[in-house]
Amino acid sequence: MSVLVEDPKIVARATELHDVQMQRRRAYVDRMFAALLVVQYLAGIAAAFAVSPFAWAGKERVLHMHVWVAVLAGAGITLLPVLLALFRPGTALTRHVIAASQMLSSALLIHLSGGRIETHFHIFGSLAFLAFYLDWKVLVTATIVVAADHFARGIYWPESVYGVTNPEWWRFLEHAGWVAFEDVFLVWACIFSNRELHSAAVRQAEVEHLSEQEQLKSAALEMAMAELRTSPA
Amino acid sequence: MSRSILSAALVLAAMVWAGTVAAAYRAIRQFETTPGFAANAPASWPARSVVPRSEGEWSLVMLVHPHCSCSRASVQELAAILDETPSSVRPTVLVFRPGDAQAGWEQTEVYRSASRLPHARVLIDTDGREAERFGGFTSGQTLLYDDRGSLRFAGGVTSLRGHAGANRGRRDVIDIASSRSGQGSHPVFGCAISTPKERTMK
Repeated sequence: MSVLVEDPKIVARATELHDVQMQRRRAYVDRMFAALLVVQYLAGIAAAFAVSPFAWAGKERVLHMHVWVAVLAGAGITLLPVLLALFRPGTALTRHVIAASQMLSSALLIHLSGGRIETHFHIFGSLAFLAFYLDWKVLVTATIVVAADHFARGIYWPESVYGVTNPEWWRFLEHAGWVAFEDVFLVWACIFSNRELHSAAVRQAEVEHLSEQEQLKSAALEMAMAELRTSPA
Repeated sequence: MSRSILSAALVLAAMVWAGTVAAAYRAIRQFETTPGFAANAPASWPARSVVPRSEGEWSLVMLVHPHCSCSRASVQELAAILDETPSSVRPTVLVFRPGDAQAGWEQTEVYRSASRLPHARVLIDTDGREAERFGGFTSGQTLLYDDRGSLRFAGGVTSLRGHAGANRGRRDVIDIASSRSGQGSHPVFGCAISTPKERTMK
């Protein structure tokens, strides 16, 4: 660490620069997630229509329950995080609600696909996207939601999440274990990137400080020169 | 937008969010775990059935509604059953078709999957007349008759609506057909081909 960083004014300025940058970044990620959640909502409806559009009784047909669930449950899941992203961007509450909603969207998509194991990849992609916040606590929220969903459905309704009737009781731990495996690297990436950004903020604060010092010196020199020019010989 | 209105809107959205998640879990679970009407299957092979049955051969009959998305899982399970049962079990898939339906109405993924099953006969069941002879109401209804024409299994071969995977119905059919002994039943999950009320009104 350079000697300048011990200057409290530089430390304060570096913290200020870092906070502004993080706030801007997180508000931007909030807006990206708002768009993603809306796209996922529409994709869920399209998937429900493609896979099981109608329930039949003889030659009569009615909209399938999956379509209603995609429309209504999807809207319910999407509403709060999108409103928060629009009206409370950059706050901790917004990103934690977004993390939980994103995992609930994964759960809905897994259900709509009948527990297809391939749909579980949505969880891993979502976690990587959540890491854009550079806030490891968001990953903890997401992991708790996905583990709770797998645990509860694994007990009461295993087919909808694993695609089989009688998985082992510890199957949710296996799924959560793979999520934790990804989390380890994402948490490390969040902490590492945060430090990098903070270092960049410190360097910028140092440059600003040095520039300020240079300007003060130049001004003092100018003043001295002016005094010399005006003083009688 | 004033601060208090915005806060109220966010609180309302939070309540909708939590309520929706709970309601969706409940609604989906209820939908998927509620079985269709169980068959009132005749104890002996129905004499009026047009499905051919050879003496000395076990017969497995599955009723399907071609547009029932849940029945993809039933046909998938039937394929798994045929993999594990002796070749002397003769499968027949009866595909429901309304008499006044347009040509090709029954040509769906369910129909095509059934057509790909090994050794299976796929027959069109116009207006569900065969389903009525076998006492079945629900798509996915599976009936296993032994070589003397006695009913050995009546039920579904999926655990829930539209969910393929190991389940007791599938296991029972395989065990009964392989050991040539025992009887079984299991709830059937799928769309309705007909209902007991409709049958009574006929």
